Amino acid sequence: MHIICCLKQVPDTAQVKIDPETNTLVRAGIESILNPFDLVAIEQAVRIKENHGGTITVITMGPPQASSILRQAISLGVDDVVLLSDRAFAGADTLATSYTLAMAIIKLGNNIPVDLVLCGKQAIDGDTAQTGPGIATRLKYTQLTYVSSIQWIDPENRKIQVERKVDGGVETVLGDLPALLTVELELAKPRRASLPSLIASLKAPVPIWDAKAIEAVETLVGIKGSPTWVRKISSPAPRQGGPKFRAGTDPDKAVAQCLEVLFSDSTFFSNFKLTGGRNSDVEKF
Amino acid sequence: MSKNSKGIEVAEIISDKCIACQICIGECPVGAIELSDEGVAHVDPEVCVGCGKCFEVCPVEAVLFEKKKRKKISKSQRGAHALKGVSYEGVAVFIEVANGSAAPVSFELIGKAKELALKRKCRVIGFVLGNNVEKIADDAVFYGCDDVHMVSHPEMGTYLSRPYGKILANLCKEVCPEIFLIGATHLGRDLAGVVATRLGAGLTADCTGLDIEEETGLLLMTRPTFGGNIMATIFCEHRRPQMSTVRPRVMKLPAKDLFRKGNIFRHEFTPIEDPLAQVVGFISDVKTSGEKDITEYPALVTAGKGACDISAFPMLQELAELLGGTLACTRPVVESGLMPYERQVGQTGKTVAPKLYVAVGVSGAIQHFVAIQGAEKIVAINSDENAPIFQVADVGIVGDYQKIIPALIKQLKEKM
Repeated sequence: MHIICCLKQVPDTAQVKIDPETNTLVRAGIESILNPFDLVAIEQAVRIKENHGGTITVITMGPPQASSILRQAISLGVDDVVLLSDRAFAGADTLATSYTLAMAIIKLGNNIPVDLVLCGKQAIDGDTAQTGPGIATRLKYTQLTYVSSIQWIDPENRKIQVERKVDGGVETVLGDLPALLTVELELAKPRRASLPSLIASLKAPVPIWDAKAIEAVETLVGIKGSPTWVRKISSPAPRQGGPKFRAGTDPDKAVAQCLEVLFSDSTFFSNFKLTGGRNSDVEKF
Repeated sequence: MSKNSKGIEVAEIISDKCIACQICIGECPVGAIELSDEGVAHVDPEVCVGCGKCFEVCPVEAVLFEKKKRKKISKSQRGAHALKGVSYEGVAVFIEVANGSAAPVSFELIGKAKELALKRKCRVIGFVLGNNVEKIADDAVFYGCDDVHMVSHPEMGTYLSRPYGKILANLCKEVCPEIFLIGATHLGRDLAGVVATRLGAGLTADCTGLDIEEETGLLLMTRPTFGGNIMATIFCEHRRPQMSTVRPRVMKLPAKDLFRKGNIFRHEFTPIEDPLAQVVGFISDVKTSGEKDITEYPALVTAGKGACDISAFPMLQELAELLGGTLACTRPVVESGLMPYERQVGQTGKTVAPKLYVAVGVSGAIQHFVAIQGAEKIVAINSDENAPIFQVADVGIVGDYQKIIPALIKQLKEKM
């Protein structure tokens, strides 16, 4: 099996904020991390390798600093890494990104044919979930998004069966290899790297491929290959905190005050009905 | 404005404004700009030739540069090959069919499409794919489509990425809409990436606002980014259709007019030659747990780390039922195994927008807040009066939820 994982380095988005006074991004001290969904993809790849043997290659597109997530992947047990880094790649939207990653996967497949590509279901900075389907479409691989469980893989007969989340349930899909999977958080719980492998990962070489190395067409990568463009950014309308009441020894009073505030907004409560607890859909714990 | 040792007036990045989109890095002809370790662009003054390209392309005015009169050159290069003289017209909506009926989000999008079409003075187009979907095509007209293009065939009865993507992309090539909206359901998100890639179109995910820019007639797509902390407005100048996905319940459902007339065009189904994946099984959420998705309820009572106690759940459940809602939870509660992942609200769980959100023992970390900011009213109950949740709650009670919830239930019953 040749498994490829596509990773993305993302800012720890929980820390990104807008300064309310200057209306600018506050970035001081914000860490870059491996997208949490991609960590699951690595874990799943390592488990498949443990069962079926093979090679895992992980790739990411980004500036030279992104090599840190590749080293993290090495510490978790992947075999090879490639950093796709070129000024020409900068400013890419999902269309250009999927092209660049697809070209890299084609090149990797020239050495050892690719059986499986694993991606996180989305990245936590953009939340678009568009790059995976873009890669699968370009490579004509079986596209399996939102995978929550891999039931079996049969490398000899080139088949895979997975469970994937769909609206209103979970569906089981049987498809051909090569396939591209985008993975849900519950697919596999990531392991921790051992100390020796962590140390080894620090010394591991990180090969860098530029646009020429993957034979990418100049007009299809980076800013030139990206149809979408940011016009402006703004802060979401801030929510104002309302009054708070101390329950102390008299919770009834605090609750009464709280409900008074809620019910004082007549437009809200005219649209909101208390059901009186007749709700047949609710599961009992 | 600073000069370098060669006397060139160089560009500078205002790091607080930089959003690290890296567009300037790609544009700089001499490679003077790099992303710093802090994750913002940085200009090396000794390499900079003072051309000002970074200033022109920066979407957020984060570049300090003197020559403000240069004409914008790079925008015309963006998106490579442009419109090629084809005329694109109309606002199209993908009408998603799930279990034999249309997904409500599709009709919500028709409402938005009508608004946009009014501004563009064009038609609203519906694309319906599936098996026996004639009635749904009629409904699309009743909700506001002027033209509906339909492919109805037994082989389209089950959604698969490849045939749906191919057929929909072909329909787009034939009908040439200038805007194409798709619901951001699991299916819609799976499909949109395929169609956009096939068409080489620009696609913006999960938009919460859509509007037409008056001067240019372009679609302005506003979406939360960086986990909802920032709103970004995106546009797509040189490729068509301008594609966008929109989450359910973001746009308003338009009124249904049973007397509305429209054209329905039936298109031939052309089978896909490649081998296809097969759906071999389906387990409905309703069957496994007898529940609707938590995002569908008008009220949610959410147990956080501070209420991570199974003996408290019956009381929280009673409160939820009283409000016409259901129970939800935060990540620590899922990790403790007390509630399934399906009920997790948060950045790695679900984004919800109920009318009433009651957070019990939820501290309100930003990862949680970004997923509930669409809620109409937030009530917080927490024993820590400094919990961040109080900064965003419309009303809060500080104290022991074990005492507060029973009082709340009692008083709510009295109000009914």
